[in-house]
Amino acid sequence: MKKAMWIYLIVMMALLMPLSAKGVPEVALDLSAPVKLTIWTHEDANRTKLEKQLISEFTAKNPNVTVDYQTYPSGKMRELLTVAFSANQGPDIFNQSQSVIRQFVVEGRTSALNPAWIGEKSLKAITDRYLPGALEAVEFEGGVYGMPLEYTNLSLFVNKQIFREAGLDAEKDYPKTWEDVMALSEKLVLRNGEIITRRGFDFRYPSYTMQFLPMVEQLGGQLISDDGKKAIIGDEAWLKFFEYMRQWGPKGKNLGGPTYVAPRTAFDLNKNEIAMSESGIYQMARMKSVNPTFYNSGDWMVVPYPQWADAKQEVAGAIACHYYLVNGQIPEAKQVWAWRLVDFMLSHSEDYLTQVNLVQPTYKLFASETFKAIPYSAVFVHDMERAELVYYDDISSAVNDKFKAAVEAAMLQGEDPAKVLVSFRKAVQDLIDQR
Amino acid sequence: MKYTGIEKRKARWGYVFVTPAVVLFLMFSLYPMLNALYNTFFNMKLLSLKPPKFVGLANYAYILTSEAFWKSMKATAIFTLGAFIPLTVFSLVLGLYITTRNRGQKALQLMLYTPAILSSVVAALIWMLIFDPRGLGNAFVNFLFQTPGINHNWLTDHIMLQISTITIYVWKYIGYFTIIYVTGIAKIPQSTLEAATIDGASAMQTVMRVIMPLLKPTTMMVSIVAMLNSLKSFSTQYLFTQRGAPLEPVNVVTLNIYNTAMRDLNISRACVMSFLLFFMMMVLTLVRMKSSERDVTVY
Repeated sequence: MKKAMWIYLIVMMALLMPLSAKGVPEVALDLSAPVKLTIWTHEDANRTKLEKQLISEFTAKNPNVTVDYQTYPSGKMRELLTVAFSANQGPDIFNQSQSVIRQFVVEGRTSALNPAWIGEKSLKAITDRYLPGALEAVEFEGGVYGMPLEYTNLSLFVNKQIFREAGLDAEKDYPKTWEDVMALSEKLVLRNGEIITRRGFDFRYPSYTMQFLPMVEQLGGQLISDDGKKAIIGDEAWLKFFEYMRQWGPKGKNLGGPTYVAPRTAFDLNKNEIAMSESGIYQMARMKSVNPTFYNSGDWMVVPYPQWADAKQEVAGAIACHYYLVNGQIPEAKQVWAWRLVDFMLSHSEDYLTQVNLVQPTYKLFASETFKAIPYSAVFVHDMERAELVYYDDISSAVNDKFKAAVEAAMLQGEDPAKVLVSFRKAVQDLIDQR
Repeated sequence: MKYTGIEKRKARWGYVFVTPAVVLFLMFSLYPMLNALYNTFFNMKLLSLKPPKFVGLANYAYILTSEAFWKSMKATAIFTLGAFIPLTVFSLVLGLYITTRNRGQKALQLMLYTPAILSSVVAALIWMLIFDPRGLGNAFVNFLFQTPGINHNWLTDHIMLQISTITIYVWKYIGYFTIIYVTGIAKIPQSTLEAATIDGASAMQTVMRVIMPLLKPTTMMVSIVAMLNSLKSFSTQYLFTQRGAPLEPVNVVTLNIYNTAMRDLNISRACVMSFLLFFMMMVLTLVRMKSSERDVTVY
């Protein structure tokens, strides 16, 4: 009996051994097998229309490929991707900004692009397509892990009509400094008692490192030291910035706040609710689609990102770059098709520009007549030349949240900037030390 | 053959019937809880593919000495007390009011219960509109107190934001607890109430001396459930902070757990906070149950 049991156990172990064996025999890639690719991307009605059309063209040329294109609210994407990847269930293709995707790249969740997969001879042939620095956030240990979908910097949109009604000439009186922004906002704001019915200007609140960090950098401050070890450099710059935000909030001059309607949305609607807002080139396509009358009226203009009167260096609003990335945990054949689809879609950069006003940072596009013909493209390029990519790191997402909490403490709770600075420094230093 | 009595056979069927529930509990409740407890001893990062390192009690030491955690505990305590006390008291009052009405009982119950079936997300979005500076909240309060033009900063002021979240929670769940009280009151034997009337008890005396003591088990159940639900509250605070409200006043422990795991990607520290919250809820429940066991009234 015992002998039979031993034989049974040995046979079972022998049968189960292959399951625990490490390494898989190499198999040649079968690119003709049917492949279903899942894309997760953020909502943008104009872009969705274009990308669905491009996907149809791609699948018509490659009938073994089918694509499930899914859109989600942009604010939800980071959490969805984090949950999906932590369960090893990430989509095959996804897009996110540099601040979010860096942690996916660093943690080995994304696929390194093999140039041969998309018919290029070398990585240099790919990097040579793009403006310097545009691929920084997706470069890691000699590989390239993403391709840029949109390159967005913030410039200032001005409603000329509201300026006119306030006795101002927008062409001459538009704000050049942050001090001007506050002074003009005090002039243009309308209130019913304490309740604001029209804002002069308001910030783009969720984008803390994109919108606010350049303001601090203009004054000589830094978020993290050059060696990456110390949080918050240049206290004077930070204190001035937090004091400005305290003045902006309801407990200061009451000029706006994050619980009001998003400034760019209010600006496009042109219902006398805001005179100035910040956004990128893409905003013009949205304005054209939401309010074509206003878009065609000539009653708005775009001017450069303001600087402090006593700025130590000229820095424009940081550039957010959204990349398309491929899941590195899917079979290689699927990765090949995913990269081919991404490359195919992004090769239509002029379509993205003309139909969605999305700018890809390619030399080809920037030199094109199509780009030059976009209204105010020269203003955006002028600012881009003075800007860097939005801060990205494996902790950049978390740092953005700490920045948000610090600005809220000064602006909404009216906390002393010195106290805010102490808490903010500790929170960011904690994140640095955890790495 | 071994003898089996009818009781024993019945008990066997009992085991069969409870097995699915026990299996589901083990898989979806106990295992995740034990797994979370195990994770607290490692430095596990949500997206990392590297094996986590054993760090012993370092995560506990970090959390228990973290200022942010204790601020979260304070926010949780304020929210729980602010929500659980009115929920218990007002649902009892409404329960008594409904059961003493001759007409319109069902309509009142329906009206009160309706918010409970709304998803928390929808409820928060409705209230976001009400609390907008130009919304109904300011208009109503300013009309009531004849203070035109005052912005009550429902979503930006530290205290007002806490009041706003508590208001939504009480509005949403008061109907649910009222229905439980209505059921509890309906269970009180009619003969006991009639006896009180024959003995000359006034309405107030009947409520205070007969109904309230007999409602103790219901009150205990309502207070425990309301307290535990308040401690676990998350979605309103989450949505408000997503829409621009400041984090600190409403950074309850559940929201801190979520942000630590999903934003900071530090799943081990999130597990420590989850375990501490679980422990706190268990202790509070036991204390509440013990305090009610002492004076049970039976007629």
